[in-house]
Amino acid sequence: MPLRLLKYALSKDYPGTRFFKAHETPKKSYDVVIIGGGGHGLAAAYYLAKEHGITNVAVLEKGYIGGGNTGRNTTIVRSNYLTPEGVKFYDASVKIYEGLSEELDLNLFYSTRGHFTLAHTESAMRTMRWRAEVNKHVGVESYVVGPDEISKACPQLDMSCSGQAPILGALYHAPGSVARHDGVAWGYARGADQLGVEIFQNTEVLGIDVKAGKVVGVNTNKGYIATSKVLSAVAGFTPRICEMVDLDTPIVIHPLQACVTEPMKPWLDTILVSGSLHVYVSQSSRGELVMGSSLDPYEVHSTRSTLDFVEGLTSHMLDMFPFLSNIKVVRQWAGMADMTPDFAPIMGKTPIEGFYLDAGWGTWGFKATPISGKTMAETIARDHAPDLIHSFRLSRFEDYELTGEKGAASVGH
Amino acid sequence: MKLLTCPVNGTRPLSEFVFGGEYRVAPPADCTDAEWAAYVHNRSGAPGIKNEWWYHAPSGTWFIAERNTLTDKVMRTYLKGQEGSK
Amino acid sequence: MSARLAKQKGEWINRSTAVKFSFEGKEFSGFEGDSITSALWASGEQVIGRSFKYHRPRGILSFANHDVNIMLTDGMDTNIRGDVVPVRNGMALEAVNTDGGVKKDKNRFIDSISPLLPVGFYYKAFHTPRKLFPFWENIIRKAAGLGVVNFNYPRILKRKKHRHCDVLVIGAGASGLSAAYEAGKSGLRVMLVDENLQIGGSLGFDWGGTQEAANLLKDLLAKVESLPNVEVIAAAYAAGYYPDHLIPVVTADGMIKVRANAVIMASGAFEQPPVFRNNDIPGVMLGSAAQRLLHRYSVKPFSNGVVFTANDYGYRVAQDLLEAGIKVAAVVDLRSDAKDGPLAAQLARRGVKTISGSCIYEVQPNAGKTGVKSVTVAEYDEKLNEALTRSKVTIDCDGVAMCAGWAPAANLLYQAGTAMRYDYGVHQFVPNKLPAGIFAAGRVNGVYALEQKVQDGARAASLALRHIGLGTPELSSVSPSNTAQSHEYPVVPHPKGKNFVDFDEDIQVKDFINAAKEGFDNIELMKRFTTVGMGPSQGKHSNMNAIRILARVRGVPVEQIGTTTSRPFFHPTPIGHLGGRGFHPHRLTPLHDMNHKLGAVFTDVGAWKRAAYYQVPGLSLADTVLAEVEAVRTKAGIIDSSSFGKIEVHGPDAALFLERFFTGSYSVQPVGSSRYTMLLDESGVVIDDGLAHRLADDLFYLSSGTSNAAAVYREMQRWQQMWQLDIGLVNVTGSYAAINIAGPLARQVLSGLVNVSLDESAMPAQSICEAEIAGVPVRLIRVVFVSDTTYELHIPTPQAAFVWERVMGAGHALGLKPFGTDAQRLLRLEMGHAMPGIDTDGLTNPYEIGADHALSLDKPDFIGKRSLQIIAKRPLKKILVAFALDAGYAGEMPFECNLVIRDGEIEGRVTSIAYSRTVGRVIGFAYVAPDHSALESRFQIRADSGALVSATVVSSHFIAMQK
Ligand SMILES: Cc1cc2nc3c(=O)[nH]c(=O)nc-3n(C[C@H](O)[C@H](O)[C@H](O)COP(=O)(O)OP(=O)(O)OC[C@H]3O[C@@H](n4cnc5c(N)ncnc54)[C@H](O)[C@@H]3O)c2cc1C
Repeated sequence: MPLRLLKYALSKDYPGTRFFKAHETPKKSYDVVIIGGGGHGLAAAYYLAKEHGITNVAVLEKGYIGGGNTGRNTTIVRSNYLTPEGVKFYDASVKIYEGLSEELDLNLFYSTRGHFTLAHTESAMRTMRWRAEVNKHVGVESYVVGPDEISKACPQLDMSCSGQAPILGALYHAPGSVARHDGVAWGYARGADQLGVEIFQNTEVLGIDVKAGKVVGVNTNKGYIATSKVLSAVAGFTPRICEMVDLDTPIVIHPLQACVTEPMKPWLDTILVSGSLHVYVSQSSRGELVMGSSLDPYEVHSTRSTLDFVEGLTSHMLDMFPFLSNIKVVRQWAGMADMTPDFAPIMGKTPIEGFYLDAGWGTWGFKATPISGKTMAETIARDHAPDLIHSFRLSRFEDYELTGEKGAASVGH
Repeated sequence: MKLLTCPVNGTRPLSEFVFGGEYRVAPPADCTDAEWAAYVHNRSGAPGIKNEWWYHAPSGTWFIAERNTLTDKVMRTYLKGQEGSK
Repeated sequence: MSARLAKQKGEWINRSTAVKFSFEGKEFSGFEGDSITSALWASGEQVIGRSFKYHRPRGILSFANHDVNIMLTDGMDTNIRGDVVPVRNGMALEAVNTDGGVKKDKNRFIDSISPLLPVGFYYKAFHTPRKLFPFWENIIRKAAGLGVVNFNYPRILKRKKHRHCDVLVIGAGASGLSAAYEAGKSGLRVMLVDENLQIGGSLGFDWGGTQEAANLLKDLLAKVESLPNVEVIAAAYAAGYYPDHLIPVVTADGMIKVRANAVIMASGAFEQPPVFRNNDIPGVMLGSAAQRLLHRYSVKPFSNGVVFTANDYGYRVAQDLLEAGIKVAAVVDLRSDAKDGPLAAQLARRGVKTISGSCIYEVQPNAGKTGVKSVTVAEYDEKLNEALTRSKVTIDCDGVAMCAGWAPAANLLYQAGTAMRYDYGVHQFVPNKLPAGIFAAGRVNGVYALEQKVQDGARAASLALRHIGLGTPELSSVSPSNTAQSHEYPVVPHPKGKNFVDFDEDIQVKDFINAAKEGFDNIELMKRFTTVGMGPSQGKHSNMNAIRILARVRGVPVEQIGTTTSRPFFHPTPIGHLGGRGFHPHRLTPLHDMNHKLGAVFTDVGAWKRAAYYQVPGLSLADTVLAEVEAVRTKAGIIDSSSFGKIEVHGPDAALFLERFFTGSYSVQPVGSSRYTMLLDESGVVIDDGLAHRLADDLFYLSSGTSNAAAVYREMQRWQQMWQLDIGLVNVTGSYAAINIAGPLARQVLSGLVNVSLDESAMPAQSICEAEIAGVPVRLIRVVFVSDTTYELHIPTPQAAFVWERVMGAGHALGLKPFGTDAQRLLRLEMGHAMPGIDTDGLTNPYEIGADHALSLDKPDFIGKRSLQIIAKRPLKKILVAFALDAGYAGEMPFECNLVIRDGEIEGRVTSIAYSRTVGRVIGFAYVAPDHSALESRFQIRADSGALVSATVVSSHFIAMQK
């Protein structure tokens, strides 16, 4: 048992202290106001303070920190994307994640389990190969494997998928990982708080004050806050925030659902995704199977659950693992995914001076939390976006220069 | 919403329908490039009551649904071109 | 030692049929009708499970279908719930998650090192040094989980049924039965479901020493049964609430998807444990659990128990215990005024002492920690919420019944969007604002007295009927009980802890207090940090206490804390129930059987099964495909193309429709000819291509690739809705089969069969005519996709097989061979045709595939045109070129999707590549930089090994390169 736990056993008074202070009322003004206390907003605050010395920062969260998509996602971290720009970006995130528990001194259970994207059709095999080639080029460990290697990594998998969709091969991505989503939010919150950032829960931004094309402040349920720089990091609420500054974007909101089973002794070591069967699954360190599927087919600003979703998902899980018939699903839930047409995020500056956008994280943004925090912090501090996120700029749509990630992001978040 | 009413075929389970996105009118062809690019790519993503395309797949019927994207309640559905009639 | 009582009225067991089974290697017997837990308890077994984290011995807690500390395996199945699953003959059961058996579980040492495992300990350690994390993770993963999964468990798919009803009543206790009866009197279709094996809810076990409840049950049941329109389903739980009143009702053999016009939730309340040290020792159980054991199974919960109560309910439990001949050592009541009340007096008359204003401070376990030895009772300071330990007394007993209060079983109410409020009279959350069509009755509504529950059910029914549109008079409302049924704070601190709040997850009081110290002082954050309510019982016995504790810690009223969100499922629901049959929509062509007979190996193309190639014994796949290609190049080949999309556009505006929809021009297209069609989306991306055949001035016949056919037709219908042209659209994909006969001898194969001339002049490339084969009308088209001489026949589906056989017969002597999609891909490549989806991706514009010739930009408008005007102004970044590897190249073969590399950077990628025996070269398509696209340009492809392979840009009419 690690020695660090001894102090909890030995000390009379509980040695734990607040992760972040309980601020109630914001000051009159801040250098930077961050809307959204999800992983992204908190990470941006942390890096603003840590790497740019900007500490007069308020993070405003309308609910509780990590309560948005950060606390609802299925925590897959990977970098085996399709475009070189995407692969480089997510790879930078994976690299930070690998040392993040140590950096934040919080065990995020960053668990590298290996990630298989199963291919059941020739056309899926082509996409796998394409991704593998691009990944390799950028230096990311991904390659196409055959059925034997898949069976070896996951002997329980029915390779014929009950005769319905035989598995031809897979894209194997060794760095594929899962982590504790809450921990990521809490760790960044604690880190930011320790550096002087103020975090406000139950604090909702109701309007953004723009004068002559420049941000001058925000209106909140706790009063007006003057600031010249606002970062919107609100994922599923992005259209509402953008409406406050009259900014049009391609983002539409679709629910994304997931579910877990009751705990069982761990048997599934890898992360599996099947595009054809529209499912993905991993087993958590609690022993639950964490399962998800593709996006809900229509726009709703709601986190309601549907029966169709679990019925479809579990049918296909049974194709892959017929022996799960009597394993029970405990809980299902949903988040609001901020979708872009090319399945790539929208990051950086906007036509409104001082209004920075970190959005379009759809079904894939958890893995980007560290790197988006870092690059958005840099963008805000220098008022200039680093090259790493150039392909994700909002103006790419006007430029007809989309960053096509659909082939790598539609089911395997 | 779990049921949707096709103006031709009546109330059917949602699984029979395909969502076709918001009903939008293109700007005139002589608009600026930026206006056109905005039309093609941008969406009014904020929640509210919207007119949307829906397709009843078994019968091949496209129609418009007036739906609140926040509450997921459908106010009414009608065939394009028959918005006046209820 | 048997704990079974003498036979009593209403028991659920059938004493005439004994059931033999084993538990942890020891033989036991019970009766038919016993649950596993009741049979074991009756036989004196009290340690039936181990807790998840600390591996503490556990017995019965709630016995209310969520007793998740008792999970077993029978070798076949896992995580079997002892409290719900009936015991069966021959079962060989073991507890899950033990090392060495439930009695001697080696992991029980964890209980003694629990101080080392503070709340959220796994966040606090194991991550430094980084290298060691996998080691610790491995240990933690091994400790995690409950049962072991059996990989040989059969795939069992349960039945799904759909049902509509007017009123669905959930919960068949007093209020549910009453609601069902009142609603049923209207004659409407009413369904009443209850999760328990028998109807009656608490009427079946909560007797309080009298016959009142049992009589009421008999009466209500008779009333409900007298109505044929009321369907009563027992052993069926409502698993969740979904929009538009869709409620899946789960039974042992399947799922009934009920859609109701109105729903009445009469789902009752979950009894909540008071929290004190060792409240988890086997023998300490909820009062309602004791009553269930007594009245359903005739099993004694213990023989000499203490009732620890904070409400009047505890006195009913005490009466029931006494009636069953169980000794009640004392009633300990948290409320200071209790002992002077009439209930205490009644007990006093039966010799039971009430100790009021007091709590159980701790339970002393017996030597083996397998049961209760005694309890320590102390005064309780309701202001400070502390036990005053100066005045402790110890009472010997072998069990405790706990009655501290309730939490509404409001899960489905929450899911439906009900706003709840905390009622300070009854001390419980109750519905404040119900969504339309949802009603609540009984304890979930805060209504506790028998008569009032009946009234409340009737009232809810009247509202439900009014909601449906009946003119039923509205009954007056029943207000929640004005005496507290739950204690505000039934929590007894103890310096040594082990006062459990969440039994699934082994969470103690101090864990909450410490979590709050660390800043997790919001109910959702607290839930996530402590994991309260995250176990299989989903907080049914723990969430309410967690809220109460947090309210105290923060010094705010309970309603300010709020509740965590409720999500489906009400009870964990098996995957086999939810999944049912996987939905795999495969479409077979009308010639599927023909193909099959010829040895076709099928591949999925969109929803269709198409022949990939025709297996020839002894031939490798590559050689098979090359042989099929060779037949087409030297003689003739035949392919089933029935899956192609086929659409008719007819009417005066047909040509205009095509002009707007596709990029080309069609108004001047001669009748009898075919033209290329390309479809873009509004952003100028290539979506699909195909052919438009003009059959008459006002009739076009469109054919297009397989995968997109349905989506393209759908888009046509949508645009037609906007354009409102004078046309009709008919999707005839299923009405026609299609076959292609291709190759130099194709004309010869067909000429004897068709009733028209196939001469080059009569039937040139890109022409179409209506013809007949053996009396079957067909559409005959000259296409050039796979070879210069190709005839495509579109045949009415019923005659497809007949025509196929005729053609095969006619071709036999000429060497006609079937070919599949693999050969087709190579053939079209040799012909220089790029294919959307293979040679394009989701963002490709026509300029990038050199399709400028397909764009009639002088047309007034077509879909995507305005975007093309913008794209045309921007520099091209890549362009698709045809290439060949050097003649005689014998090095590593590149694959599709290998990258084109220039100066170490990605320039493009190969989209198609194959060795063509016809051409004698490796040929293909690739994206390269525009300055690499001129004929004869050389570029480099990086093969899998990393080797660079040189390629040369050539004319796409590869076939012309023939050696
Ligand atoms: C079911 C599901 C599964 C997923 N699986 C994965 C996965 O496996 N891998 C992966 O990489 N990604 C996954 N994602 C996506 C990922 O969860 C998100 O992209 C990511 O968490 C977004 O983080 P965020 O910090 O930007 O947003 P959030 O965590 O949503 O935080 C935004 C915050 O802004 C707050 N807010 C909104 N409006 C206001 C306002 N006006 N004022 C103040 N505060 C406001 C919200 O309350 C919220 O807390 C999944 C998503 C879902 C829903």
